[in-house]
Amino acid sequence: MKNNIQILHMILTGGKIIEEIKNGNITILPFCVDQINPNSYNYRLGKSIKVFDKFNGDKAVFKSIIIPTKGYVLKPCQMYLANTKEIIGSSKYAMSLIGRSSIGRYGLFLQVSANLGHTTSIHKWTLEIVATKSIKVYSGMIIGQVSFWKNFGSFKKYEGKYGSINYPGESFTPLLPSKLYDINRK
Amino acid sequence: MILTGNKIIKEVRNNKIDIFPFNKKRATTNSYDLSLGNKIIRYRKGIIDPRKKVLYDEIIIPKEGLVLQSGEFILGHSEERIGSDFYVPIIHGKSGTARMGLFVHVTADLIDIGSHGVTTFQLYATLPVRIYPGMLIAQVSFWVPFGDIILYKGKYQNSIGPQVSQIYKNFL
Repeated sequence: MKNNIQILHMILTGGKIIEEIKNGNITILPFCVDQINPNSYNYRLGKSIKVFDKFNGDKAVFKSIIIPTKGYVLKPCQMYLANTKEIIGSSKYAMSLIGRSSIGRYGLFLQVSANLGHTTSIHKWTLEIVATKSIKVYSGMIIGQVSFWKNFGSFKKYEGKYGSINYPGESFTPLLPSKLYDINRK
Repeated sequence: MILTGNKIIKEVRNNKIDIFPFNKKRATTNSYDLSLGNKIIRYRKGIIDPRKKVLYDEIIIPKEGLVLQSGEFILGHSEERIGSDFYVPIIHGKSGTARMGLFVHVTADLIDIGSHGVTTFQLYATLPVRIYPGMLIAQVSFWVPFGDIILYKGKYQNSIGPQVSQIYKNFL
């Protein structure tokens, strides 16, 4: 019965996140206790941002920009990549990384669809950003929140190619639709 | 884990979940359906700067509905006040809404424990779509937390109607 109750519990509270950082089961670096929410942690935007520029053959080319002190304006319907200032991960829990509501209220997509973070991946997360309105962003601003979820079942270590990337990392999948079609057929 | 609709009904009766007005017919298998309130917010043209207050207009959706153009972003709100001091709510679109290409939030689906109020929808249309006051547009699910609970005391507590971003307060 006790075991069943443990399984029932699912998303970590802010207090539990702090406890598990102390136990070494969650990594958030740098960590600031003021950024703890009732059931998530507020993370900050890193120093640089990449904007999709053009295709060079099959390869999508992104331009890298250091966000100036006066901020950088994201334009609507452009695809940007950035990264979290913090190294975020967990050896024990799965994660969901999203934007904060104050940013969503301005129409900023943060994580276009892949919010799920795998257990054992620990790094600066790449942020997939699309703005619906022109909006200025600042380096180091609190931009999103990450929550931690209990696993059910044993797990194998994440060995994916994105797990150790600490910069705004482009997709390893070629972007051209024709190419995607080929990959999907294989 | 995730509460069933029947459990949501029970926990509303036990005062562990706050949904008002509440109609048990709107409980689904794993969630509760939320209807669209009649007020929306549209930001004025220009560049949004999170460090400053922004200009916006409040509009009442007429009975005959309001058409959102593709690419348009507005804020709406649920008619219902929702919240819980015991469970974590997560907002989702109804599949019927999403199949029209309408986002009900663009990123922040997770609600803090202890946050009570009407929820603000971040409505983004990818196709022209007509929205009506009172239409069932979204759903809320409830999840069991792990660890000691500290309740939300943030800036959007007790929201009535759609709430614009108050992120500028973080820069004061």
